[in-house]
Amino acid sequence: MAVRFPSIDYFNALKDQMAADQARFRRLGFIDTTFGIRIAHNGASRNFVLAFEVFELRDVHEVAELDLAKLDFAIEGDLAVWREMIENIKRYGEADTAHDLNTLAHFGEALKISYADPEGHDKLYRFMESIQEFFDLSSRVEVAF
Amino acid sequence: MSYLSTTNFFEDRAFLDKWLYTIRTGELDLSWMKSSTEKVKPHAENPRRGLIYRDISLGSYGVEAIPEKVRSNRCYAPRGAEIPPGMPDAQPWVSRKSELWAHNTDGYYEEAVTRQWNATTDIPWNHLEGAELPEATGKALAQLMTFLTEVEMIATDTPAMWLPRLNPDFIEVKAFIAAQAMDEARHTEVFRKRALTTGYGLMQASPMNEMALKHLRDADSFSEMSVALHLVAEGNVLTLFRFSEYLSPTDVDKKIFRLVMQDEARHVGYGMQHFKWVLEHYPQKREILHSHLDEAENISFAAGAATELTEAFIILAGGGLKAENIAQGVRVTTAFQLKQMQEHFERLDKCGMPERKSIDRSKLFAMFEMGKAAAAEAGIKF
Repeated sequence: MAVRFPSIDYFNALKDQMAADQARFRRLGFIDTTFGIRIAHNGASRNFVLAFEVFELRDVHEVAELDLAKLDFAIEGDLAVWREMIENIKRYGEADTAHDLNTLAHFGEALKISYADPEGHDKLYRFMESIQEFFDLSSRVEVAF
Repeated sequence: MSYLSTTNFFEDRAFLDKWLYTIRTGELDLSWMKSSTEKVKPHAENPRRGLIYRDISLGSYGVEAIPEKVRSNRCYAPRGAEIPPGMPDAQPWVSRKSELWAHNTDGYYEEAVTRQWNATTDIPWNHLEGAELPEATGKALAQLMTFLTEVEMIATDTPAMWLPRLNPDFIEVKAFIAAQAMDEARHTEVFRKRALTTGYGLMQASPMNEMALKHLRDADSFSEMSVALHLVAEGNVLTLFRFSEYLSPTDVDKKIFRLVMQDEARHVGYGMQHFKWVLEHYPQKREILHSHLDEAENISFAAGAATELTEAFIILAGGGLKAENIAQGVRVTTAFQLKQMQEHFERLDKCGMPERKSIDRSKLFAMFEMGKAAAAEAGIKF
């Protein structure tokens, strides 16, 4: 059954896939970061907080607004951009060279990285491969928009 | 041979007699069993994570037990062990905690250990089969890889040469620095491999780059080395790796840059935490560090704008050598250079040195303001 994006169910589906593929994520190493995801659509937004600890996604919850002071960073973008990224991952099994997170967010043209603390910002890059491979798990999940 | 034992044991009668006596009689000394050291019972606070350094940081073995000035241990006795008379003086250069300590040092080390990767097996090198780049971008990529190989060789040597100079009581810092040297050796390996797999081989070494790197290698103190290496150079290189990932023409290059940026960001994290620590605990060093930053910023500005690096970026960013490619490449590369400077000053601000965001205090900040104005005039956003 397809999970809808954006929703808690989508992130929980990725969380389950991450737990099922522990060998892969243990190989990538500790991931200790809490960050926000903002999906904007028609002048409104859905916002999620993802808390990773040790080798897994410990908690995900939806919030009305992202509080950057409580997050390492936030990845923000329009629903159309997120959808294109997820569909690209689905098509190729992982993001291609035009759709990985760093490429989409580098100059803030597609996705934008917001942060209150430069050390928190650097955590995106400290755990980049784990975060990318977490989103690449979308290839194993049926997603509806 | 710079150190000779003070005793020639092959000719020391008392030593030989004791050795033979033990063989003959089986009589043991056992005085080491009476060591008056602390007994503790560590356990893993989070079993998922395992038994980490923080779990064994207890009592006299813990980081809290390290004084600002370590006077009691000048040998390789592990922190918390009994130190009997007769230990040789290992002559550590750095025995003051604020000269090298950082918040979360042990955490950075544990993270480094679990996030090690393998340049031989974790990169999908087979994806390069049949992937041929146009000559201009292929050569530009080879030049970038040559530049980065050169950078990483000195980034390996620099932390490694400080290892034996650090007092062994600072075991967590030494472990982190050792892990960093391994990270940098792996970066040297992966960039050299990628340079050769472009088909164009290594290109040209960079005098400007090496001038900057020599500055790192020859720092007068660990703190100065750390500020120049971890904070300035690796901060700039972290931005450069992200930019390079963005420009990468193949999934192989993307993967390489995602993996190296993780290591680099960890080194920058340690550098920021050390810088904060030294400013908080050794405020007398503030002006010395300003002075070192003046030079580090001068050299990093020059190295970042070196012809052999900038031109490679412009060609990669623009996708070729035609006029329209070059125009696009200049726009993207300028945005990258400004972002690099912006993030440098953000980090200094966060560490407790906001005063460098002033054209009177930092020449680099003056260049940043000048660059922003020129970019705005050219319609370049960053």
